[in-house]
Amino acid sequence: MSVDDIVSDSDRKKNRYHFDRHTPEYRTQFEKITEDIHAKCPVAWTDTYEGHWVAGGSQAVFELARCPVVSNDHDINGERQGYKGISIPTAKRASGVRGGILEMDEPEHRIYRTVLNPFLSPAAVKRWAPFIDDVTRACLDEKIEEGVIDFVDDLANVVPAVLTLAMLGIPLNKWSMYSEPTHAALYTPEHSPDLDRVNAMHREMGLDLLNNMIEIRENARPGIVNALIQMRIDGEPAPDLEIMGNLGLIIGGGFDTTTALTAHSLEWLSQHPDQRERLSRERDTLLDPATEEFLRYFTPAPGDGRTFSDDVEIEGTQFKEGERLWISWAMANRDPSVFADPNEIVLDRKGNRHFSFGLGVHRCIGSNVARTVFKSMLTAVLDRMPDYECDPEGTVHYETIGVIQGMRHLPATFTPGRRVGAGLDETLEKLQRICDEQQLALPITERKDAAVID
Amino acid sequence: MKVHVDSDRCQGHTLCSMIAPDSFVLDDIEGHSSAVSEDVPPDQEDAVREAAQSCPEQAIIITESS
Repeated sequence: MSVDDIVSDSDRKKNRYHFDRHTPEYRTQFEKITEDIHAKCPVAWTDTYEGHWVAGGSQAVFELARCPVVSNDHDINGERQGYKGISIPTAKRASGVRGGILEMDEPEHRIYRTVLNPFLSPAAVKRWAPFIDDVTRACLDEKIEEGVIDFVDDLANVVPAVLTLAMLGIPLNKWSMYSEPTHAALYTPEHSPDLDRVNAMHREMGLDLLNNMIEIRENARPGIVNALIQMRIDGEPAPDLEIMGNLGLIIGGGFDTTTALTAHSLEWLSQHPDQRERLSRERDTLLDPATEEFLRYFTPAPGDGRTFSDDVEIEGTQFKEGERLWISWAMANRDPSVFADPNEIVLDRKGNRHFSFGLGVHRCIGSNVARTVFKSMLTAVLDRMPDYECDPEGTVHYETIGVIQGMRHLPATFTPGRRVGAGLDETLEKLQRICDEQQLALPITERKDAAVID
Repeated sequence: MKVHVDSDRCQGHTLCSMIAPDSFVLDDIEGHSSAVSEDVPPDQEDAVREAAQSCPEQAIIITESS
């Protein structure tokens, strides 16, 4: 490196900001840090985690997320450029497995995504609505007579997990074996004494997933697992590791994000009973915009890592090939140049072009699932537990929100009501039969009709 | 007023069809959007403008008639 390079390097990185999103302080100081970054440097260089760029301004995020020389690739075996994918720093657990389509560039990304789309498009997800509503109903029936519920443990952890397994083609009664480690992996720090137990649960889940893959390869049954097994790339089956990576992405992406959105929204509505009453009353017009506003404000997946695959200048900053970048959806979502009163929740916000599902070709493929499951859980709570009050003493937010802005517990009390159907276990037995009989996990190309729940 | 969806930009966020369900239709398989008709009926103009403003990819192009 010559003197000129050093000068130009410090010039390129003149907007500096100490940014460490994995500290507990980041969670408590999020609004101030975001305002700082918006005011001083929509794109900043930080020395944390071997140095990386941070994009927080909405225009920079918009351009960078859609830029063809910004790579998602995670090159596990050093076969290409050695890029490190979407985690900054590289998570220990994720270092050996590529995270499915989220850690692929074109054209590979498109090949796999085309297989997944017919299971996750709006029309495909709509077919599951009666199934989702019945899982939600059963979760609430388990608790409705007690007048006490933990919205995370008893509802928001359950419904996304059950639906995801159903879509994959994995038995529904395994939901907790998948849900617990997926959830715990996100809130258990690397130094926790509980880490061994969490890792053991994770291994058990991985093994079960692998067994399901073997089973389905021998005896095909409908679902995403089968579609990934059946797909061909230039006449060859997809490698098992890439199939596992994509299944891991669907499970990791499908479970905790919707849980986080639901828990935060229910907590906020408990704190704002007048808004809760209005949302319930005006849901025909308000449910859609309110859902988007909760997505914007709480941004369950707060950002993604990337790597520059070429030198490029964007929004006045020069980036070099190989440099790492953190794209903050959460900070872009609070940019006052796009969102008036960005730190307020406005249920009927207009022009809400939020960043919560990412932008560009990697737009969250589960966005339609997330919205549908969230709306089912929210409206059922509004109908059956309209006066619920969350207990701040028992509420546990994730200590750090570097990966998912999640919650561990959200206990609440409400006026007890009457059960309207069977409990969860019995309901899942029935729904498994319905899944099998009606072949619900077929892609939209092979089955158009909605589930019929008897 | 005329509208079209830039298919290179659209990534299937679906906000347009949520806001203006009579003016945008989503593909069954990919979920990507297209305009039901290039000409926007007068009673749909406000909803289509709101949809364009809400598009995360800024993929909806409106031409206002002069």
